[in-house]
Formats: sequence, structure tokens, C-alpha cells
Amino acid sequence: MSTHPSTISMPAGGVEASGGGGAIIRAESLHKTYRLGRVDVPVLRGVSVGVARGEFVAILGASGSGKSTLLHLLGALDRPDRRSGSSIVFDGRELVGASAGVLDRYRRFDVGFVFQFYHLLPELSVVENVLLGAMVAYGRLGYASRRRALDERAKELLARVGLGHRLRHRPAELSGGERQRVAIARALINGPRLLLADEPTGNLDRATGRTILDLFSELHAGGQTMVVVTHDEATAERAAGAGRVLRLTDGRMEPAPGGSG
Amino acid sequence: MIPPRSAGSARVVAGSGATVARVYQALLTRRYLTSKIMPLLAAVAVMLCTGMVIVVWSVMGGFLNHLVNSGRVLIGDVVIEWPNAGFPYYGDLVKRLEAHPMIEAAAPAIVTYSLIVLPDNRKEMVLIRGIEGESFARVTGYESSLWWRPIDEPLRKDAKREDPRLDAGIKGILTEVLENGRSLTVPGPVGGERLPAVVPGIEVSGFAARRSEGFFEPRPRLVQRGSSGGEEVLSIFLPRQGTVTLNLVPVDSQGRILDIASVTLRVANEFHTGLYEMDKKTALVELGELQRRLKMDRATRIVPPERPGGVVERPDGTESFSEGFEGIGVEPARVTTVYVRGRGEANAEAVASAVGEVYREFAAAHRGEVPPPGTIDIRTWRDQNRTMIAAVEKETGLVLILFSFISVTAVFLVLAIFWSMVAEKTKDIGVLRALGASRTGVAWVWVRYGLVIGVIGGLAGGAMSYAIVTNINDIHEWLGEAFGLYIWDPRIYYFSEIPARFKWLDASVVAASGVVSSAVGALVPAVRASRMDPVRALRFE
Repeated sequence: MSTHPSTISMPAGGVEASGGGGAIIRAESLHKTYRLGRVDVPVLRGVSVGVARGEFVAILGASGSGKSTLLHLLGALDRPDRRSGSSIVFDGRELVGASAGVLDRYRRFDVGFVFQFYHLLPELSVVENVLLGAMVAYGRLGYASRRRALDERAKELLARVGLGHRLRHRPAELSGGERQRVAIARALINGPRLLLADEPTGNLDRATGRTILDLFSELHAGGQTMVVVTHDEATAERAAGAGRVLRLTDGRMEPAPGGSG
Repeated sequence: MIPPRSAGSARVVAGSGATVARVYQALLTRRYLTSKIMPLLAAVAVMLCTGMVIVVWSVMGGFLNHLVNSGRVLIGDVVIEWPNAGFPYYGDLVKRLEAHPMIEAAAPAIVTYSLIVLPDNRKEMVLIRGIEGESFARVTGYESSLWWRPIDEPLRKDAKREDPRLDAGIKGILTEVLENGRSLTVPGPVGGERLPAVVPGIEVSGFAARRSEGFFEPRPRLVQRGSSGGEEVLSIFLPRQGTVTLNLVPVDSQGRILDIASVTLRVANEFHTGLYEMDKKTALVELGELQRRLKMDRATRIVPPERPGGVVERPDGTESFSEGFEGIGVEPARVTTVYVRGRGEANAEAVASAVGEVYREFAAAHRGEVPPPGTIDIRTWRDQNRTMIAAVEKETGLVLILFSFISVTAVFLVLAIFWSMVAEKTKDIGVLRALGASRTGVAWVWVRYGLVIGVIGGLAGGAMSYAIVTNINDIHEWLGEAFGLYIWDPRIYYFSEIPARFKWLDASVVAASGVVSSAVGALVPAVRASRMDPVRALRFE
């Protein structure tokens, strides 16, 4: 449960951010509808959520509840429905309606993604996969000028996730847990202020999943703001040990028991 | 603890996203290229297409170049021509031309047609050129075109050294024949007397057969001897035993046809330009002899008596019958043509312009006696052969267009390969977008990839075509020996070798087109990749 005393007020039906650092991201009235043939399928129906700086939020929901969609909207990989009144404010900047260039830069520097299926590029080595985010973020000259520092950071990150000895290996030579650790290192390469993880243990056995959650706990302890979505109660409970658990059901956020997360 | 972001990776402010070229694009291009077989197949396709077009262009260009140069061998750069009647004072014209800084040499000639009677009694219509061996050789490649000469090195394809010109036993004869050809004369039956002779193209008589190795050898011919004479096999070496009869049509200075003149001349040598039409339809005769036979030599200008056979009173008061025609001056020798060669690498059009300028001065100096400048023909060698050159140029263009159409398949091949690769790499595209890659940046990964494949294919195609073009005759020979595949038969094409010519500029244009084609082929899949919804891309199965 939340250990952070302060809260940020949210509109009705929403979930307040809690934490000492103020809301780093606040989403209000998120609506997202997918179109299947001629049928509109609403996935998110007015979801509001706020995440404070340094907070660890777990969003628990069954398959199809809209939790991944919520994560994609928070990470600006997708846009909410037009004219729905949706709003996502990151660090005081409105993301809904922002230009593609602004959203690209947001994904480069402000958020890091961890996916269920790791999504490492098979042609690249472990260290190259980690550096990929930096290569995308900086231009040729910018990257060249930071090359040494970035290489060091990538190696440090990999050493921290226990893969310092496998820098030149290809993803195919790693286990599932190792791949997910590489993915976490990749997400952190540009020092994002918000880490978004979509079912990070969903493709791992329980023991390996625990090591990944331990890693997240450690990240959180170091001040990293994180949002993890999962369908697994145990995972959510582990996350709840460090932060808040929010429940998403049928495209709507359930009020937190006891009024807080 | 997880290390904090280093100071070197400071946050990049707005505007950095405008940079398209990024390190990840180069890295992915390199890795995609080396980890997959399909892009290499695309590069091979580009290589084959560019190589094919360059080889075709080189062969057709070489063929055209060879034709043009062969045609130029007996023409020079520019021709001044006043057909049939000819014009006088050509010596003065030659002197004026050779004094011009752009002109190296000029040679007078007569060009006319003749029915030639060959040793086997065949009659052929040929173009007769009356020339001075020495001046003609200065203007044209005449001397090098004389076929019968002693040689020490065999032709490239004559591995067995079967060319009769290599025979040391007849070196003396060939040396004499070469000298005869140069002067267009043969030794007379008595003393040091030299008789005018003829040098026909080597294909005129049919008494020399071309071998696939590229050389000629004398061959016997079956001869019909009139209606009752039966047949006999005539085996002669034309420059030693051959005579031909020329039937010429003289024309006077007013263009009136005079009595047909027949002259039998010995053959001094035979020439070979490599251009079949010229080698088959042309014979060269010593200029002075042709002038005499065509009544174009220097003569006394006369007027007929007022009363032929009448009584004429002499100055001393005595009377006598009139004796005949009265000489009133000299009719200078005439030629129909002057061949001109420009100095150094002078452009033929510029030389033609200089020739026109000189001719205007010449015509002014001989007003009323030579054709006025506006009427006389002054043409470059290209104008002279424009029908043939235009035909081959058109053919070259047509072949190139056809092969270029075939090469367009490379575009579609690259497109198809890239389309499937983009599909295969959909998740990578999703990851790149999640990491902040812009649409343009993702598109550039694929366009750049196409460009790299194009560059590899284009360079490889250029190198391959260079190797083929520079060794095309060896390759052809090997194909013939190994598989009996002779595509280029010199007996048909009248060139002993495939006349390919590798031009760096042309090859560069084709290779660059290959690069552009690859980029164009990659463009559609690149746009598709850039427009991919990142969420869908990440969920792609």
C-alpha cells in the first residue's frame, strides 16, 4: 500500500496520484475506442489516473480490461479518441494534441517501455540493444560526442541487471529472464522519468518473475517512477508492497479500497 | 543501484528530432544486410541488371565506334566534294588548306562509279577513288588499311599462326606488294618503269576468304569461260597475278558524258577497313591514271575552226586549207573531292568550318572557274556516313531501352524483397517507434538500406561488366571452345573481334541508375513502415 503521504486531487471517478514529488503524469477522462469492422469497441471509458514522482503504481486488470491500452496512451504510443475530452499532462505539458515530433521526443527522453515479450532486436547484441534507445535519441554527432559515456552507462546498466558478462551475446542466446533484464536496461538508457512496464513477468516463470520484480523494487527505491500493468494478482501484490495497486475493469478504473491506493 | 544518467547524456531540447541521420539507421542497415540472404539476393539482382546494361551499351557503343572509325579510315575528317565534273586548281586549294592552323593535311581525289570486271569475269558496281598514295595516307589511315604486308605477330585469335602474312618465305613478296599498295603502282615489264594499278577492298574480288581467326587467305574460285568455254578453277593471289578491268564514264567540265573508257589494271594490294560496305564496294586507283581515263587531266583548251576544211589566208598572204582545232589556253586538271584531316584532336565540325572559310578565299581567287562556296559540298565524316551511323545509333538506343525495361524488374524485385522484410521486421519498427524514432527516421532505415543495396549492386555490376567487357573476346573464345557457342562470327560481322568499349561515364550513369532504382524500390516499403501504427506493430504476430 501507499506509503506516500501527500495526494493530488483528481476529478470524480479518477484515481489520485500519491507521493511526495507531485504528479509527474496525470491522465484525465481517457477514452479509447477500437473499431472492429463496423463495430466500435470501447476499451477505455473515461479513465483518469495520476502518478506522482517516484511512485510505483501497479495497474491490475483482466485480459481485455484496457490496461495495455492505458499504458500505450500514457507512453504516447497511441492517442485517445478525438473530441473525447481526454487529457494527458506530463510534467506540465499536455500530450493530447501535441505534434508527432513532440511525442517522439517524449518517448525518447521521458519514458521507457518494458514489454511482455521483451521485443529485443535479434540482429543486435545485448549491449547494442541497450544502446539502441540512445542511438534513436541522439543525432549522429550527438551520439558520437556522448559515445564513451553512453557505452559506460550501458555496461553499468547491464552489470546491474546481472548481464555484465554477456554484452556481445545475441538475444537468442539468452533465457527469457535475461532478455527481460536487457529490455529493462534498454528502457533505462536515457534515464527516463517514467518507466512503463506491460506485463513484464507475464512471459516468465514465477522465480524469474520475482527477480524482475525485485529489480523494479530496487529501481523504485532509487527514485524511479514506474507504472506496471499486470493481470497477475501476485505481481500486483508485490508491486503494492512498494506502491499502489489500481484495478481496471471493463475500461474503467475501480475506486481504490479505503479511498487510497 | 541503477546508475543515474550520465552528465554526457543531457536531455536534448526540442529541435533535435529534425535530425534524420542517426546511428541506429546505419547499425540496422549493416546488421540487416549481413544477417539475411534476401538483401544479398536483391544486391545480386541489381548487379546483374546494371552489369547487363553496361555490357550491352559497351558492345553496342564499341560496335558503333568501330563502324565510324572504319568508315573514317578512307575519308579523313572533312570532305570537299563537287561530284562528276570536278573542279580545277585543287593544288592551290590543298596548299591553302594545309596553311590553316587547324588543318593537318589535305589530299585531292576523284570519286566516281565503275563497273569492275573481276578475274573470274564477274562484274560488280564499285565506287572508284582516284588518289595519290602519299597525300591520301597523310589524311587517312590508308597505309595501315593495306592488308597484304609482312607481319611478325599473329592476330589475337590466330593461335596456330596460320595467317599467310606470317610466312617468312613470302616476306619479300609481301614487302613488294605493300610498296605497290602505297604507291598504287606495280613494276612494269621493262626496267624501273612503274605502271598504274588498282587497290580494291579485300571483299571486292572474292579471291580472299576470311577465316574465323580474323585473317584472310587466298582461295580458288570457279570461273565460267563464256557460253562454250566451260569452267575452270582459278587459283590466284590477286596482288601478284590479278588484273581487273574498270569501265569508266568520263564527264567533261560542263558535265557532258563522253565516250566510256575501259582500262585494265593490275592489282597492287587490297585494303581492309573492317567496314564491309567499304571493303566490298570500293576500289582505289592512282589519281593521275584516273584523271587521264576520265579526261580530267590537264589539257589544251581549244575552239573548233570557223570553216573546217575551208581555205585560210596566212599572214604572209598565201592560202591553205584550215588544219583543224585551235588551242586557246590550258584546261587545268580537275578532281571531284578533297579529303581533309584536322590537326590533333580537332573537332570535325570545327575543321569543317575552317575548311569552309578557306574554300571561300579559294573561290574568290578563282571566281567563275570553281564552284561558288554556297554550292559545293563540305561535309564531315559523320555527315558522309550519317545514314549508317544514325541506323546503328538508333539500334543502340533501342537495345538500351529494351534492356532498361528489363532492368526495371530490379526495382520491383527490391520492392518485393523489402515489402516482405518490412513485414518480417514489423516488431522492430514498433520497438523503434516506442524508443522515439520518428516516422521519417523509420522510413530512412529502409531507403538507406535500399541505397546501400543499390550501391553494392551497382559497384559489383560495374566491376563485373568491366571484367566482361575487357575480356569479352577471351570469354567468347572460351564459350566457343567449351560449349561450341560462337555468338560473334567474324565471317558474318566482318570484325575479327567483338568491338566492345568500356566507357567509365556510361558505366557510372548505369550504376547510379541502379542505386536510384534500388532506392525507388525501397521507397514504397519504407513509406509503409513509417506509417505503421506502433501499437499494432508491437502486437504483430
